[in-house]
Amino acid sequence: MPLDLAQLLSQIKGLVADLRVGQRERERRLALAQKVLRSHEIEPLKRKIAASNTTWLVAGIVEGLSQHYEAPPCPEEFTVIASDGSHIDVDRHSSVPCYLINIGTALLQYGESPDALLASEPALFFGQDLVIADASGNREEFIEGALLGVKRSVEECGAVARLAQELPPERPALALLDGSLILWGLAGRDFEEAKSYVREELLERSYLGALDSMKRLSQGGELALASYISFPRSTDVVNALRVALCPHDPADCDLYCSTRRDRDCDGVGGIQDGELFGTLLGDGERSPVFVSGSRFMRKHYGEHQIHFFYLKVDEEVARVEIPAWVVERGLVGLVHALTLDQCKRGHGYPVALMEAHEKAVVTNADRERFWELIETSLWEERLPLRSSGKRKSKRTRWV
Amino acid sequence: MSSKIGEIIEASTSGFVAQCYELHQPPPLGSLVKTREGEREIYGVVSDAATRSIEPGRRPIARGGEEAEEEDVYRAHPQLAKLLRTEFSALVVGHREGERLHQYLPPRPAKVHSFVHLCDGEEVARFSQALDFLSILVAQGDELIAACLRHLAQAHEDRHRFLVKAGKELALLLGGETSRLNTILRRIRG
Repeated sequence: MPLDLAQLLSQIKGLVADLRVGQRERERRLALAQKVLRSHEIEPLKRKIAASNTTWLVAGIVEGLSQHYEAPPCPEEFTVIASDGSHIDVDRHSSVPCYLINIGTALLQYGESPDALLASEPALFFGQDLVIADASGNREEFIEGALLGVKRSVEECGAVARLAQELPPERPALALLDGSLILWGLAGRDFEEAKSYVREELLERSYLGALDSMKRLSQGGELALASYISFPRSTDVVNALRVALCPHDPADCDLYCSTRRDRDCDGVGGIQDGELFGTLLGDGERSPVFVSGSRFMRKHYGEHQIHFFYLKVDEEVARVEIPAWVVERGLVGLVHALTLDQCKRGHGYPVALMEAHEKAVVTNADRERFWELIETSLWEERLPLRSSGKRKSKRTRWV
Repeated sequence: MSSKIGEIIEASTSGFVAQCYELHQPPPLGSLVKTREGEREIYGVVSDAATRSIEPGRRPIARGGEEAEEEDVYRAHPQLAKLLRTEFSALVVGHREGERLHQYLPPRPAKVHSFVHLCDGEEVARFSQALDFLSILVAQGDELIAACLRHLAQAHEDRHRFLVKAGKELALLLGGETSRLNTILRRIRG
């Protein structure tokens, strides 16, 4: 038995004891966060947030802080589309350089003529597609690991944009993606400077290109785009409360608090937005709309500035992200109603995303068969195949 | 004219499993179906049918607590029709080569993805002129034999005469197993 559960048990007991000790302090901080959220004046706080320089991500206030909204009724006829993906990364223990992205899509049509279209499309990338090169061809970046995760998000967005093109324009529709609309994997300094060509290719040309296409389609009717984050750990709104609690105006973490330990704002530290809105929202209600304070997003997302709201579904609070044009075109209510409806139909998670995931998923057995198929195909062509001793040892286990 | 109802997804010399094109629309238990293998037509008697999830790991869950009608469950969850499938099994009971009908197993099984048709009344009547195939069904359960005979009898103008003939054939096949014979006879009366 590789994992010794008996040894682990005493460590788990330590973890539980630690959580129990922190519980009372947590409740105190949550109560303070609720008080600040309800009592703070919006306009001065908006100004203070805009002027402040903080070390954390602070939500921009758009609609207010503590309002809560019930979902409007769903339209009688509507469509929900979704995509999700999974991948097989480049195997550095194999001599065959390639990676695979499998994209699952779901189109669910509700109303007089209910229908469903579930599909998956695997794509194998090799040769030139293994790298992103700059215009001169002097520099290139291998697509693997975290960057392949970004590439997959780009492919998912492209798939849902293509699906959106097939929809009848007069029918209300929601396009859903899983996870954040902000490609955090490209947010590092590297991608601003030395590897900016990678960001330009994946974000500007491909991802934002797909968002542009959906924005254009939404002009002709009621198409909204949203991403759904289940059990989010974000603290953007709590961080706005930190700014509210800061005695300095404007707040400047580096200037006033670089060495301080007992900061006033720590009174709400450690609380997540989901916990805070869990106490404020009724079942099915949403929070006000906020805008992400990410510098990376503000700089590169142009007309697709990412906004978000929290949505209470049963006992969970989910985060729903939407681009600016969904807010500007008055589609927040549609996103709220259809996302909630999807969660109810899916027993707590949007059914279209669940089905897209089911079509996309690549199991361990699929991975094995994939590599077997590659090896067989090479063997048939009498091409050499080399793999590392480590890979062989994992595939053929012995005592 | 016989209608196409499904497609073979598993085949052996003695039977096949077919997936129905329409969810929840399998042919009736005991009905006569046929498929083609090259120039040969293979006949089968439907011995079982089931509707289940397309993926073994994903079991259907109850969804109709809030719905007034059963159809509303499918209207509210249109993906269900794509996630469930209806399959039926058939026991091979004979085959036809040209005009010659044989009520014994064919030399080769049907091919996977062959179409399966439900035999019309005329074909059922023609097939059940002889009852040699009953020896294949006798090895199966009594319910299947009774369902098959009830189905075949509907294609005959004189149902009673057909069932008496089938009863006599069964009496010979079952020998001293009178309680089995009585069980079957009770199920084909009326």
